[in-house]
Amino acid sequence: MIPYLLRRLVYLGPVWLGISFIAFALSSLSPGDPARLTLQRQLDRQPTAEEVTRARQDLGLNDPFAVRYVQWVGQAVTGDLGTSYRTGEPVLGALLERFPNTLRITLLGLGGAVVVALPLGVMAAVWRNSPLDHLSRIVSLLGASMPSYWVAYLLILLFAVRLHMLPVAGRGTWQHMVLPATTLGLATSASLMRLTRSEMLEVLGQDFVRTSRAKGLGPRAVVVGHALRNALIPVVTVAGMRFAGLLGGAVIVETIFAWPGIGKFVLDSIFDRDYPVIQGFVVFMGTVFLLVNLVVDLSYGLLDPRIRLGHR
Amino acid sequence: MVRDRDPFQSALTRRHALRLAGLTAGAASLAVSSGGLAAQAASLAQGTTGGELVVGAPQDGYRNEPNRANIGMFPLNSNVFESLVRLTPDYQVEPLLAESWEFVEPNTWRFTLRQGVTFHDGTPFTAEAVRWSMGRIAATGGGVLGVDENSTVVVDDFTVEITPTRPNRRLPQQLNHPNNSIVAPNTEPAETRVGTGPFREVEYSREDQYVVEAFDGYWGEAPGLSRITFRFIPDATTRVLALQSGEVDLIYEVPRESAGDLPSSGDFTLATSEVGAYEALYVNIHGAEPYDLGQDPAIREALAYAIDKETIVSGVWQGNAEISNTMIPPGILGPAADTITGTTFDPDRASQLLDAAGWVPGDDDVRTKDGRRLTLTMIVGFPNADIHRPMPEFVQAQLADVGIEMEIVQTPDTASYEERLTTGEGDLWAEAGSQNDGNPCFLPDLLFTTPVPDGDPESTAYGRAFAPGADFDAHIEECRSAVSTEEVQAAAAAAMKVLIDEQFVVIPLAGTFRLFGVASKVTGFEAHPSGVNQRWAGVTVTE
Repeated sequence: MIPYLLRRLVYLGPVWLGISFIAFALSSLSPGDPARLTLQRQLDRQPTAEEVTRARQDLGLNDPFAVRYVQWVGQAVTGDLGTSYRTGEPVLGALLERFPNTLRITLLGLGGAVVVALPLGVMAAVWRNSPLDHLSRIVSLLGASMPSYWVAYLLILLFAVRLHMLPVAGRGTWQHMVLPATTLGLATSASLMRLTRSEMLEVLGQDFVRTSRAKGLGPRAVVVGHALRNALIPVVTVAGMRFAGLLGGAVIVETIFAWPGIGKFVLDSIFDRDYPVIQGFVVFMGTVFLLVNLVVDLSYGLLDPRIRLGHR
Repeated sequence: MVRDRDPFQSALTRRHALRLAGLTAGAASLAVSSGGLAAQAASLAQGTTGGELVVGAPQDGYRNEPNRANIGMFPLNSNVFESLVRLTPDYQVEPLLAESWEFVEPNTWRFTLRQGVTFHDGTPFTAEAVRWSMGRIAATGGGVLGVDENSTVVVDDFTVEITPTRPNRRLPQQLNHPNNSIVAPNTEPAETRVGTGPFREVEYSREDQYVVEAFDGYWGEAPGLSRITFRFIPDATTRVLALQSGEVDLIYEVPRESAGDLPSSGDFTLATSEVGAYEALYVNIHGAEPYDLGQDPAIREALAYAIDKETIVSGVWQGNAEISNTMIPPGILGPAADTITGTTFDPDRASQLLDAAGWVPGDDDVRTKDGRRLTLTMIVGFPNADIHRPMPEFVQAQLADVGIEMEIVQTPDTASYEERLTTGEGDLWAEAGSQNDGNPCFLPDLLFTTPVPDGDPESTAYGRAFAPGADFDAHIEECRSAVSTEEVQAAAAAAMKVLIDEQFVVIPLAGTFRLFGVASKVTGFEAHPSGVNQRWAGVTVTE
């Protein structure tokens, strides 16, 4: 396991460099002059051409692309992602300040999705074509089809406006996390439920399940102890991908629920052409993606003892 | 129903189903009861006794860098700070921390300050505070005021002189902008907010809320509220839902599609201001092919007559706007606003103008001239594309009726819009703007004066596309040098007349209101047309 882990960590390097290059190139290609936008914001008036030229020089925007990229990557590997043009904050600090908020609702949403989806997916497979199976399929289809902003408004209308059970938006208590996390988790639970069901159906039809039953194992031991464990690998893979996707794509939910996460901060930075934040965000989230994938890969070994990671 | 023979399948019994249902319901009720109690407790805590108001504000737009910090000032004006002057709802400038002012040739403004005013920390308000506050502005380039570190001179404790680095006779009309607020000497709003306003800061939680309470030592009339909590809720629909749930008592920027529904329940009212913002089309009159059609005066005039502003006001703005002949709020122009006549919807006249100019309808009803189709491109994106919807489609349909084909290009953000403006790639430019200070020339001067060498890039970009020329520039020059309000208004109106009535460079579509949603328990709220100058001292909350 440890050699495999080390090998995977080494592989992360080139992938991370590729991510950093794409992030830097794309933000540099986007229209809009960050020097002028920054000055406009700082001066509360239109900057003169001379001021813009000086700001471009100060920000290093006149250097060749390759020079700027190498300088930026050199600083990034030491944890220095630069300073926000817009707020003057260190980028890494600004991202780390907001990331836990996004992480909270994402973990809660994904956790809730897994808790709901796994049992329902298993039961739907075990009791295939039962009313529960039909209901779960309808619910998962609806959950996967409804856009998150619409779900968010529906949840607010029902639980906050009509029933007064939960707050509409903001932060402060655990109740504030329920609706955003539910919104994030709903679509994920739908897809996980469908995936769990289909994987379980496939596994339940395999020889080793029949053998287990023939040995006299009880239904619970067969389903949970043998079938589910084998069915989980693709489910864990998808859950990991969804988790990373939710972390980077929660901006709509964060905006609707006035949740001060990383997504809203980055969206505002994109509008202001705050290159250091945009680049830092892509690299930061790329790193998170890579780490989540690594954890998912490592979990295969725990789920399936046939995978001898260390002896490939 | 076809059932699998697998024994595990058939084991879903009524008992299982009931157990599942019971577990689900139990979990839900547990969450509901604890959440409900908490919500009720929060509601009681928010309470209204003592006049506490919860406001749903748009997103937190405060800056917190040294010298540039404007927390509590702009864009959300919490009334913690005050400026030397204030902007009335009819865009006149009135004394606030300055009791009077006079212009001293060649370029100095002398202010006599109000006595008996103290900051929230007990420091007396004197001319030194003005010098300190102007110094902050000077440290970041001087802003629109054009001040540097030597511009502000303390004459005595209650007299101060401000001499901008360039001729600026609009200074008193610019000073009311909340970014020019007076802060306590030797304090920096990035760290602590100490002003002279009717409310003082209790808590600022970034991107979450800003809480203020009444200041006992306020020099003016005591505020009617004991506390205001401004909650930052960026999404407009969520703000409406927060109002309907009772979580907040008043909301900013009600989306116009919700404006009609709010009052229907009887629990809320829609508070509208006078016109404080506008929606207009600017025509590119200096574009290169293929964006050169705006150079034809007949096309520009035809556009002005072909667009039905009444339909836009009723259809797009759902009645929450009024037909406007001026680009900027008519109130700021005073009586001079009446000199601008604008155009009324007259598609026949538009067609006649195009016919006379040689643009004849083709087989598909789109006009052509010398083999060229009359196709215009509208660029939509300032301040964002959403705010204009569905105006472009309305205009597109109306122009089609007179044989003008129009393509709509939406830019994703302001930066992309301005980038496109710099290259002049477009014929019609949809813009929504706000008037936030008392200078009627600010926007016409910024956007339409003839570019000068090495001028500021944005002004140059606008000027290169839209500047109508010498007549307009002359009026702007009068506006810059005039001292009396009447002279300024007359010059600004004359400049607007060139843009709108003579050159048809600007086609005003609507003068728009600020829309606030207000719970019925809130009284005394008067919506200010400039959203950033909202006053809270006269508001009260009753059960």
